[in-house]
Order: sequence, then C-alpha cells, then structure tokens
Amino acid sequence: MIYLDNAATTWPKPEAVCEAVSDSLRNIGGNPGRSGHRMSLESGKTIGRARLSLSKLIGASDPERVVFTCNATDALNLATGGVLFGGGHVVISSMEHNSVTRPLVHLAERGVECTRVRMDPVSGVDPDDVAAAIRTDTKLVVMTHASNVTGTVNPVADIGALCRGRGVLFLVDGAQSVGSLPVDVESMNIDLLAFPGHKGLMGPTGTGGLYIADGVRVRPARQGGTGVFSESPTQPDELPYRYESGTQNFHGLAGLDAGVRFIVNTTLDAIHARESRLVDMLIGGVREIGGVTVYGPPAGANRAAVVSLNIEGVDCAEAAMILDASFDLMLRSGLHCAPDAHRTLGTFGLGGTIRVSPGFFNTEDDIARCVEGITAIASEA
Amino acid sequence: MGGFERYKRQITFDGIGEAGQAKLSAARVCVVGVGALGTVVANSLCRSGVGFIRVIDRDYVEETNLQRQVLFTERDVSEGAPKAIAVAEHLAGINSTVMVEAVVDDVNASNVERFVSDVDLVLDGVDNFETRFLINEACHKHGVKWVYGGVVASGGATMNILQKDDGPCFRCFMPEMPEPGSYPTCNTVGVVNPITGIIASYEAAEALKILTGSGDVSDQYLAVDVWENLSSYIKVNKNPDCPVCVGKKYELLDRPAASYAVSLCGHDSWQIIPEGRDSADFGALAARLEKIGEVKLTKFLLRFDGDVSFKLFPDGRAIIENVKDETGAREVYAEYIGS
Repeated sequence: MIYLDNAATTWPKPEAVCEAVSDSLRNIGGNPGRSGHRMSLESGKTIGRARLSLSKLIGASDPERVVFTCNATDALNLATGGVLFGGGHVVISSMEHNSVTRPLVHLAERGVECTRVRMDPVSGVDPDDVAAAIRTDTKLVVMTHASNVTGTVNPVADIGALCRGRGVLFLVDGAQSVGSLPVDVESMNIDLLAFPGHKGLMGPTGTGGLYIADGVRVRPARQGGTGVFSESPTQPDELPYRYESGTQNFHGLAGLDAGVRFIVNTTLDAIHARESRLVDMLIGGVREIGGVTVYGPPAGANRAAVVSLNIEGVDCAEAAMILDASFDLMLRSGLHCAPDAHRTLGTFGLGGTIRVSPGFFNTEDDIARCVEGITAIASEA
Repeated sequence: MGGFERYKRQITFDGIGEAGQAKLSAARVCVVGVGALGTVVANSLCRSGVGFIRVIDRDYVEETNLQRQVLFTERDVSEGAPKAIAVAEHLAGINSTVMVEAVVDDVNASNVERFVSDVDLVLDGVDNFETRFLINEACHKHGVKWVYGGVVASGGATMNILQKDDGPCFRCFMPEMPEPGSYPTCNTVGVVNPITGIIASYEAAEALKILTGSGDVSDQYLAVDVWENLSSYIKVNKNPDCPVCVGKKYELLDRPAASYAVSLCGHDSWQIIPEGRDSADFGALAARLEKIGEVKLTKFLLRFDGDVSFKLFPDGRAIIENVKDETGAREVYAEYIGS
C-alpha cells in the first residue's frame, strides 16, 4: 500500500507521535488547567509544551499567542469571523480553499465584501496586484501560503510587508506549508497564521491552531469555561484562554508536540529537500508520458509537495480509482475543496485533477510505482 | 364480530377461523422493499386483515415497474410517487381498517433495528443480498421471524427464518455475501411477471401461518422456476459455525454502513464501496450487461453505458455516473451490478 495523499493528512505518523498519544491516554488523566492536582497539572504541562514547540517552529516570541483549535478550518473561521464580524473589505487569492471562501461568503451577510486577485499557478500572487486591490476599508488580506491543489507558493513575506505598510491585517492559510516550508510569523509580518496539526506537523487529526500577533483583536468564536478567571462573567481577555473554552484535546496535543519535535530534530530543510526530490522525480517521470498535463510549478521550483495532473481522455476520479484498485496507490482526485483553484487552472470543467502529494516517509520506489501506474492508464486511454 | 364480516371467506377456512383472524388483526409486520414481491405481499396481508403493515422503500415508481409490481398505476409513474407512499395510499382504499405506515428510506445498519424490532414478522421484498444479510442479523438479534423471498428471470425462492435454536438462519444458507456482479439481477437478465406473484404469494401464505400460530409453517427452502417447470423443496441445515445465529456476531449491524457511498466532488457521480468484499466478477457480469447496453472492458475496469452509466473496478468499487444522490447510486449498484 502506497500512500500519496499527504496533503489531505500525513501518514504514517512518526512512532514518537503514536507513543505520545498512547502515553497521555494511559498515564495522564487530569483535565488540563482545571484542577490543582498532579495529573491536571501534568496535562496542562503537555499543552504548554506543545504551545512552546509550535511557537518556536513558527517564530512567535510569545507562546501564549498560539491558540489551539480543532483544525486549520476552525482556525480560519475564528480568524475571518473574528476580524470581519463588523463587516469590511477583504482581499484573497483566486486559489483559496473553501475553508477561506465559504466563511467569507457567509460573512457577506454581515456586509463583508471580497476581492479576489489572480494567483498565477506557477509564480503565485503578484504583490502589486494585492496592493492595487487594497481599499481604504480593507481590513484583511487572506492568502494561502501554498496551494493545496498545485503546491504553488505565494510570496507571503512580500505580501506581509506590504500589508503591514498599509495597516491591513494579514492572515495566512498554512495548511500545506507549516511543518514543510519555513514559516516565520515575525519576519514575514504575518498577523494571523492558521495551521492544521495533522498535516505537515505530523500530529493527530483534531489538532490545529491559530497564531494571533500581539495587538491584533479577534472576536472569540465561542465562550465558556477556561479553568481560570472563573469569577468573571465574561470571556477573559488573556490569551490563550480567550479562545480556548472547553476541555482541550490534550491527548491530540501530546501527539502534536511529538510531531513538532520530530520535525525540529529532522530539520525542516531535510524534510523539504526530501519532499522536493520526490516531487521533482514525479514531475520528471510523468512529463515524459504523452497525454499527461501537469499543472503548477515545474520541477525544481520552490513549492509544497503537491502535484496536480490530468490524463487526456481519462476522468480524474476514474484514474484515481484505477491507481488504487490496480496499483495499490492511495491519492485523491476531484476539486480538493478548492473550486476557485480549478477555475484558475481551467480544470473545473474536467471535474478537477488527480492530486499526488508525497510526504517525508515516501520513497523513490513509491514515486516510480506512481509513474508506472499513470503511464499504464495513459496508454490504455 | 361485525368488524370481521369482510374476512368471512377466510374465517370459514379451518386453518384460520375467528381466533386466527383475531391474531391477524393484532399482528404487526414490516415489508422491506415494495417492488414486485413487496407489493404482492403487502396487498395480500392488507386484504387478509393484518392489523399493522410497515412498508419501506427508497425508490420511486417508474414505468418499467408496472409490468409486475401490483398496486401501482400509470398515474403513480407520472407523479413520480415514492413507492412506499403509493402503496399506503392504494391499500387505504382496499382495507381502511389496516394501519399502513409508509417509510421512504434506505434500510441500513443505523435504522434496520428500529424497523424490525417492534413487529411480529418481517417480509423480504428487497433486491439485494446486502440488505438481506442486514435483515438477517437484525431479526436474529431481536428474535423476530422473517420470510426470505427473491426472484430473477423466471425463477425464485423463499424460506422462513423462524429463529429456532435448531433451525437455520439466512447466513446458514448463504455463508458469504456474493461477489458484486456474480448474481444476475432483474435489470440485467429481466424478470417475468408470474414468478414474482408466485414467490410473493408463498411469502404471504407463510406469513398468515406464522402469524396465526399454525403448525404447518414450512421449514424448507422452496425454489420455483415457471419457465423450466421446476419446483423443489430443499432442507437447509443449521450451520454449527454460523457467525450470526450461533456466534451472535452481528458484523453488518456494527458497521456504519454495509457499503458506503462517497460523492465525487466536481462530478454528478458517486463512488460505491461494497463493504466486506474486495473482488468483482467481471466475466459473468459483462456477458449479462452486453444484452442491455454497451460494455467496454479495459485492463482496469468494466465500463457500462445503457439506461445508466457506471464503471466497475476489480475490487468491487464502482463510479455511478449522472445520479442525483446517494440513493440513486446505490440503486444502480444493486440493480445492475448486484450486491
């Protein structure tokens, strides 16, 4: 069984992640930050460690500004809803995920207006286009760091500097980058960074977070028990409690902490280099096949490990099913929850693309098998 | 017993009598699937005065149903009436003293127990083995008797599952769910009208006997073919290793869905993944499908274009094209590939 769907969720997870989850389930019983007893303190510490390792990974100087959410979608909803609840204008790219666009369509009821700037499938968004789209009432710019369809990377540092200069908040969707590409919220001028725990960070599903820069006001999406400041009738202002009502997923966060440590020990450079080698090998292999179109950046480009392609005359869903049924390859076909990206690529009418997303644990043999399968399907078409 | 006046002819019959009629009137049954078999069964039991009849079907009345599915009319077709609702409406005009509950739904692991646990007897009118395996488990778990019935082409069979300690369940008769494509279906090889009425009438007769506590309930499997002039009773033994009626392991009931369906985003298509089976019988299926549409076999899949379009993969999964919802996709799978 060859898993090439790491853009959906990474698999396998490092052994240390499995052990950390198992250990926390077996040995740590307390509700984090609630009671004063030893086990509660221990579970609180587990979460604190995860917050610290994540803040270091993304270059945030204050760990408390990393708040945990259920996943990146949850974080994006918190950020967009929390910044734009009073209306306003927002600029996004033309290749955003539904986790960005659907909340904004929902917010249109509150008077939020949205401008899409074209994201080039090879080079990403041109910062000049973002500058031109910013209006006096623009409150927020939202950009994916890397497309979940093509792996195309946006120049987030340039856009961050531009937003900072114009006094507009900058929210980055790090779903495909955090844990795989360098992200530094301070040097990149990122005000809000949404990330999943179960993709590049190699943690369990049900984990994720939002980094909120100092001074950025985000209205909480929910209110409730925080374990501290219980005397206050209203939601406390202090981070992370302001956004972390209810018992946290500390078993999952124990795993997430182990995932981040695995990345730090392995080094981001080594992970990125390995994934890039596999992507380049894949693109090099399928480019030789007649009738195969690869979308997005060419081999050798700086990108996330996501490759979209189509085989002429073969429906992408059918191709993915053949790759699974006849070649034991697990990957994804369709729109990948990003219809705008397919409108940009011109693949919407085709029903999307076949998406191959290798991860750190894939091998050259896996890619060779994938190229072999795509070759065989193309020759039958 | 003025209320029983309408049942005079069957009360006069020794096997039923007034006591039997009273039992029927107090009885509750569930007919799963109201197509060719289910409509005949529901019609018979309603006319016979069974007090409560639940009819379940996810499907809508189509023109090709009228050749054999009694109760339905051309008007039901033009109105696109749900089968269960149409049955309930027609039965209300036949015997208003019977309570008919219409359920327009797919029968699956999450609802089957609710449908079968509050009745005295379940009658099979379904078109696929997956649902029968599910009914078999749910009925065994709740100690509810059920009557199996199935027809295709000119043949059919029926058997009572009486939940006796020494008697067989359906799984004793058919230990494994058949491979997708290995059994013919009414859509691929057709079906003639009389066999449906014959098998369903046997089911109804067994129901009357079971509900009145008759000593003459059949304990054998009956197979009939009206074209080949065959009719035979076969004794089915209890399988001492049966996972259901001996082991009390209800695998299908514990699965979220026996087979599950996934919408393919960007397509009007659904992927059907048959659970617990990992191969499909291409050869036999292709031969049958060729008679009703265009079949293309590649190294990787079987493609069918006819009244419906689908692609079947060697592991039993299929992409059903141009269907509006999950129910439609499941129907195509059951009716053309067989499950």
